[in-house]
Amino acid sequence: MVKADGYEVPEGLYYSKDFEWIKIEGDKVRMGVTDYAQKSLREIVYAELPSAGGEVKQNEPYGTVESVKAVSDLIAAISGTIEEVNGEAQSKPELLNEDPYGKGWLLVVKPANLQAELTNLMDFAKAVEWHKNQTK
Amino acid sequence: MARRIIIVGANAAGVEAASAARKKDRTAEITLITQEKNAGYSRCGLPFVIGGQIPNFKDLIVYPPAYFQMLKLNLKNETKVTAINTKDKTVTAVDKAGTTETLQYDSLVIATGADAFMPPIKGREKQGILSLRSLEDGEKIDEAVKNGAKSAVIMGAGLIGLETGVALIERGLKVTIVEMLPQILPQMLDEDMAKMMQEALQEKGMCILTGKTVEEFLGGEKVTAIMAGGEKIEADLFISAFGVRANTKLAVDAGIPLGETRAIKTNMRMETDVKDVYAVGDCAEAPNIITHKQMCAQLGTIAVRQGKVAGANAAGDYAQFTGILASAVTRLFETEAGVTGLTENAAARARIEVITGAINSKTAADYYPSAKPIKVKLVVEKESQRIIGAQIVGGEEVTQRINALSFAIQKQMTVRELAKADTAYAPPLNETWEPMVLAAEMVLMKLR
Repeated sequence: MVKADGYEVPEGLYYSKDFEWIKIEGDKVRMGVTDYAQKSLREIVYAELPSAGGEVKQNEPYGTVESVKAVSDLIAAISGTIEEVNGEAQSKPELLNEDPYGKGWLLVVKPANLQAELTNLMDFAKAVEWHKNQTK
Repeated sequence: MARRIIIVGANAAGVEAASAARKKDRTAEITLITQEKNAGYSRCGLPFVIGGQIPNFKDLIVYPPAYFQMLKLNLKNETKVTAINTKDKTVTAVDKAGTTETLQYDSLVIATGADAFMPPIKGREKQGILSLRSLEDGEKIDEAVKNGAKSAVIMGAGLIGLETGVALIERGLKVTIVEMLPQILPQMLDEDMAKMMQEALQEKGMCILTGKTVEEFLGGEKVTAIMAGGEKIEADLFISAFGVRANTKLAVDAGIPLGETRAIKTNMRMETDVKDVYAVGDCAEAPNIITHKQMCAQLGTIAVRQGKVAGANAAGDYAQFTGILASAVTRLFETEAGVTGLTENAAARARIEVITGAINSKTAADYYPSAKPIKVKLVVEKESQRIIGAQIVGGEEVTQRINALSFAIQKQMTVRELAKADTAYAPPLNETWEPMVLAAEMVLMKLR
């Protein structure tokens, strides 16, 4: 875990420029929003997520997160079939603020085209660099 | 087709308007245009970077780039809006590279803010007179201190002037404040309350000259001294804090009417006299809750409340702005001061007859070692006995008392009702009798 400009960027994850992270867990992928995203939105009060069994598509919205002052689409970092939805994050959206890379995860997806789509994402080193440039 | 919303200005009022618009309309094309390099930062925080409490100017950026991207807000910075055409519903903007663009809007929000005001003083064209409005202004002052400035003259004893003065003393400078009026914080406090604050500041080494007009800037190309009240004051650093004036040029050129305060005229929905054009923040006027007269109090809190209303309306919602009490607080060294509603002075100007009451008390039980002094002053309308204003100066716990009194005024509470308020107490936290209640009793005694 490093801090880039006060924002946490854990090692071993892949990142999209839409402020989402993915973690490869065997043949599945866990996804959520980054620390930078949750800090920018502040206290998240609502997360609208799709249901298990549905599909997500890379670079396309799959849900929304809302804070007291803001609302933002969630943009999928990879494509796939939704296997699990974090119901706890829906009922306790503050988990997205408290633990964006842990208890605040959003979906577990069975990826459709992981290897090809990974090339569109940033690895740890690139993500650290990108985070630093964001707030320059 | 998606609704097109353009917002001119991207600080407190502008970003708030954009966020409120996005909350209402998830598909609208929302564009913010600002001349500044940085958007969405806190101007109010500038003195505290200079003072060293906040490490970097960059820390004042409340809305980082991610915020704009996540809310799909199209931010055009370092871009100047040169014209608004309310008939064709377009704005013309020129970016840093000099490229001119004409953008179509369905709703327009003008949040052009205010500019530091410089009175026509002899020698004002000389170099080296700084002000504190933008982040870059803050950086210039900080740089001057780093380059070895040892003394500063600050012209104006309003909030910005004094907060900057405190910051510079904390950085080791000798600071002289020059104020034209006979007291400090003239917008905020009556003379009796201001005196308490002035003494606290003088004790910390701030030199305060009230009732003195700046007559001339002296020096060659660069200012080296001022003449004020016939006295020559030399310094390394000169900061003008005479106040700010609504930035209305774009609106005026576009034929959007100004109101009686020379800020942009608005209705209860923050809409100007031109349909689908809204104005918010330091460039707009709105009614005072007590006098019902238009005012332009130029506070960040008003800017965000107005921005929220205008943004919602611009996106097709219905929202009203409830008016201004101009509640404000500050902390200068270890002394806090706050105001809500009318001062005794402002009430007199509005020809409202008042009874006032003030009480000196403590912020904890008198016997508790850390108890700090606090003075509460209430301004009460004579006939209705309603509270119309309050000022507090004290060592701590000023803000939430000001907020409580602001709620009381908004709910048209009478001083008799306040005297019966059900308040809380524990020795380390308050006096048995809440100071606000004691101040109410003072007023009641005068009403007997």
